[in-house]
Amino acid sequence: MRTNETTKFLEVKNLVIHYETDNGVVEAVNNISFKMNRGETLSLVGETGAGKTTTALGLLNLVPNPPGRIIDGEILLNGENLLKMSPHQMQKIRGSKITMIFQDPMTSLNPIETVGDQISEVIRLHNKVSRAEAAQLACDMLEKVGIPAERYGDYPHQFSGGMKQRVVIAIALACDPELLISDEPTSALDVTIQAQVLDTMWQLKKELKTSMLMITHDLGVVAETSDNVAVMYAGEIVEYGTLRQVFKDTKHPYTQALFDSLPDINKNVQRLIPIKGLTPDPSSLPNYCSFYDRCKKRMEECKKTDPASVDVGDGHLVKCLLFASERSSHE
Amino acid sequence: MSKFLEVKNLKKYYETNRGTLHAVDGVSFSIEKGETMGVVGESGCGKSTLGQTILHLRKPTDGEIYFNGEDISKPNKKKRHDLCQHMQIIFQDPFSSLDPRMTVKQIISEPLKIFNAVKSKAELEERVSKLMETVGLARRFVNTYPHELDGGRRQRIGIARALALEPSFIVCDEPVSALDVSIQAQVLNLMQDLQAQLDLTYIFITHDLSVVKHISNNIMVMYLGVVVERTSSQGLFAAPLHPYTKALLSAIPHSDIDVPRERILLRGEISSPIEPPPGCRFAKRCNYATEKCFTEDPVLEEIYPGHEVACHNVKEINAIH
Repeated sequence: MRTNETTKFLEVKNLVIHYETDNGVVEAVNNISFKMNRGETLSLVGETGAGKTTTALGLLNLVPNPPGRIIDGEILLNGENLLKMSPHQMQKIRGSKITMIFQDPMTSLNPIETVGDQISEVIRLHNKVSRAEAAQLACDMLEKVGIPAERYGDYPHQFSGGMKQRVVIAIALACDPELLISDEPTSALDVTIQAQVLDTMWQLKKELKTSMLMITHDLGVVAETSDNVAVMYAGEIVEYGTLRQVFKDTKHPYTQALFDSLPDINKNVQRLIPIKGLTPDPSSLPNYCSFYDRCKKRMEECKKTDPASVDVGDGHLVKCLLFASERSSHE
Repeated sequence: MSKFLEVKNLKKYYETNRGTLHAVDGVSFSIEKGETMGVVGESGCGKSTLGQTILHLRKPTDGEIYFNGEDISKPNKKKRHDLCQHMQIIFQDPFSSLDPRMTVKQIISEPLKIFNAVKSKAELEERVSKLMETVGLARRFVNTYPHELDGGRRQRIGIARALALEPSFIVCDEPVSALDVSIQAQVLNLMQDLQAQLDLTYIFITHDLSVVKHISNNIMVMYLGVVVERTSSQGLFAAPLHPYTKALLSAIPHSDIDVPRERILLRGEISSPIEPPPGCRFAKRCNYATEKCFTEDPVLEEIYPGHEVACHNVKEINAIH
């Protein structure tokens, strides 16, 4: 069914997305590249405004235009460039090959349509099935995410937050997508409910062998779900590697600072180490390293050039001059 | 010696079309001066209502509140007004809790004007500058509006406003939940510094367990309007006794990938606080529930010195004899 195992499943190359507003150009995503294998879970981590959600919307070609515009880059799904596709072709891909779970389950469902109809709508859009067959498939899907099929005819307001998010997951997985993008899927939920929902997502992902792009700011969630991690800062991926490389062999000063500023439940720290200052304004990014102003390890040279990503070993990429010099001195 | 703040059997009920909603249902506790009491629980457990009821932002249905030994359970209008000088609140959302049409200076000076705390314009200017300096807001923001500032700075305005009248007691209602982690650390450090400098007493309400562990001396865990466990911060995280607390702690995703974890998954979701049936509120989701749990209300009992739990089966569950 799913062929072409040799080429990378998803490849994003030099993606640049800007928002062109009256007050200037907001450089939301700046030249990011990453690859994903089939069945892999990649987490995009970063703070508000780092460009995580814009990247996800870019993959679906849903960046609101105007003001948003994909300036440059390629998004290759199974070798096909999504950015070259017609709106009609793209529509066929959205919902069947790539789907997305949005952050807020309260606003991503249609309040005046039953949840069952919302699931069967997706199924009927992408498959040639009868109404009755679609309804049956929708019932199966509800059961899969842990909602009794009797609730097919209920409206979203009759569900709790955790249940609504399960409905959203059911819609997203209804057409057996190849790539599931989840944008902060559990941030609006309580911890015990978050645990239940993450568990359901995890089971289904394994069962359906879906690849997942997880967008989150919660490093705990990342640690529990991901194979690989990309840390974003000011529209760029500053560190990329396997979960272990990024969490246990942290290289980039920003990633390190993120870990330091987090109160750790397993340790007794008297004082947190915050990151000084604020994230730079994306409408006037510096032409040198964008983390320079907040960096503890900054050097003279950092202000002169924008560092390139270097491989510090086994595919662990770091965009920092500290490691560029380290590597050149090794060679 | 009297306690700094003592709350006895505090209740807050709301009348709804479907019956009485028990938002806070018989909560008792006390806080010593300079201490931080953490209140944790999931949405709808009544933690925010508890904070607001203590401050009389909501009128308590029943119960007693003593502040510095004085009974403030039923203050008259004047008393209620005067209390604001001693008790303040920092709200969760720095976006909606500040008036968008007021400048930073107007927001911070409003409480000072209401209580005639300053005699001249010059003094007002000075107090505002001082407060801005205390919370780490640069002087240049004095005439800006909240929408021009980021979340961290806005939360600092909220803190400056709460500090303006030099209160001795502050209810912090999820003060860092809306902030990014790097900014969250700045604000948490600031709040700890202020507590040390000004000898403040906090009630710190949050759903984030790692934050509450970091900042609190004692912690109360709430579930559907009642306190299910109360102990020192260290004690709670070292050895939680109530089955709900255990599940809550095990559900936190943590970022250390080498620490093995055993997650206790709870069945179902939080039940309705409207006309709750008798018995333990948590019984329906509890893995250890027995018949007694569905008929009899458990009360807070001291299991170890300073460690109270409201659970019929706590001894069996934790093998305590």
